[in-house]
Amino acid sequence: MLTWLLITGSIYVTILFLLALRSRRMIRNQGDFLMAGSNIGLVLGFMTFAATLFSTFTLLGMPDFARTHGVGAWIFLAFSDAGMVFLIVWFGYRLRKRVSEKGFNGMSALLQDCYRSRWAGTIYFTGAFIFLIPYVAIQIRGVAIFLVEAFSTTIPFWAWCLLIVVVMLAYSEMGGLKAIIYADFMQGTLLMVVVWIIALTCLKNLGGWNEMFGRLEAEHPALLSTPGPKGLLNSQFLIASFLAILMIPVTQPQLSTRLVIMKNTRAMYRMAVAVGTFAMLVIFPTILIGLYGAIRYPDASVSEFLGRVLLHDHAGVVGSAAIIGLFAAAMSTSDSQLFALGNEFRGLLSRDPSGSLVSTRIAIVVFALGALIFSLFSSDELVLLARISFAGTAMMGPLVILGILSRSPQGAFMIIATGIGLSAFILSQTGIFPDNVGPLRMDLFLMISLTICAIGSYIRRR
Amino acid sequence: MKAKKDRRRKFTWHLIIGIAVVLVVITFTPLILSPGRIHPKFLSMPFTLWTGIIITLLLVVLTYAGSRMRDND
Repeated sequence: MLTWLLITGSIYVTILFLLALRSRRMIRNQGDFLMAGSNIGLVLGFMTFAATLFSTFTLLGMPDFARTHGVGAWIFLAFSDAGMVFLIVWFGYRLRKRVSEKGFNGMSALLQDCYRSRWAGTIYFTGAFIFLIPYVAIQIRGVAIFLVEAFSTTIPFWAWCLLIVVVMLAYSEMGGLKAIIYADFMQGTLLMVVVWIIALTCLKNLGGWNEMFGRLEAEHPALLSTPGPKGLLNSQFLIASFLAILMIPVTQPQLSTRLVIMKNTRAMYRMAVAVGTFAMLVIFPTILIGLYGAIRYPDASVSEFLGRVLLHDHAGVVGSAAIIGLFAAAMSTSDSQLFALGNEFRGLLSRDPSGSLVSTRIAIVVFALGALIFSLFSSDELVLLARISFAGTAMMGPLVILGILSRSPQGAFMIIATGIGLSAFILSQTGIFPDNVGPLRMDLFLMISLTICAIGSYIRRR
Repeated sequence: MKAKKDRRRKFTWHLIIGIAVVLVVITFTPLILSPGRIHPKFLSMPFTLWTGIIITLLLVVLTYAGSRMRDND
């Protein structure tokens, strides 16, 4: 296994840095570094969007989520992603139209311009920062925990975390967004191949498709329907998750940026369809892996289960590819998020798009260090933490959509409402506020309330 | 002629949105999320999984249809 890992790992890192060097040679101005020249075609666009969207939690979190909560995991993620790509057709067009009028120096700067208020951009950036840094951190942590568990070597947990952050920073600082996009292409392909090889091996180990579902019905029937054995996947949880995931391209800067940098609207539309297809193809095998785990390792801990199902139940080359796939999944999302946060920070500070890149580069390094420190102390529940991140950023959805849609500035009302919504959500997560408001989950209640506020503000101002 | 074509395109786009909304609403009703319901099965898959896959597929097809409608935007 270690030999295979060294071979595949060396090939992977070499390709990564060759791509970064190639991108570096193509950089002529700030636009090339920050926005990849805003000329991304269908294939690169779809792979970078997909790789950025599907992070470690797809390969590490989803199998465990399906093992614990059953087939409802499909509705939780794949169905929600399909809703999200549908929204891209509408929102992406509106966003690009607005950008063509006002230019794009990050979503924070765009919102400042739309609302004619610095607070709009500040609230957006604060929300993105609060919920994306922990998300980056849990990905780094997820992979590092897995590596420690898998190898039981003398390399400590923090060293794995540091290695991931250093590699990620090195190639993104070297080649900018284009390097990240090229790396995403490779990482997305790797993720898809690895996840299918593992799923097919799992099916083979169980004696086939029919055998697997037959055994599940006999041994764990609760996994074959919602809300699952623990009752988590009820309608309310799934609706709130759907709304949170729907808002990802609206509220998460790394994905909004990818809608803007597509070379034309038609390419963006096709990219949305391709991402929807990719989502189904990537999520389905993770559920198969989870169901396999429910039969083979029902009582194993998360790390034991992942170690067995991703590494030990396969040939050495597959296990090493899984590790590289995990590295790839973690880095393709984290680098994009950190880079986007750096760009947002720059947009927030300066309205001059031709200004120096030094502040952006420093901000990216600082955010990466923040994520590194957070990764050393955060929790291990990848999917649920990712969901909190999605729900947290979703609170800014009505603010963003209202700003993009309205022709005139919308005043301070929606900015204040979003600030209150974000605060209430954070307080509910820390246990200071209750989890429910009446019969509704707090996140669902806040999303509905903020949407009503945005509609009210739009009608009143129109 | 062009105005008529635009009206038809707009109508089709709104129809696609309507179908997508209906699909989303249906998914969260007991029609799909029925506690404990495994049957009828399709290719050995339990009810929630195969219906979920079909609805997801339909949403992606609607995304494609919608994107075709808006190609000239």
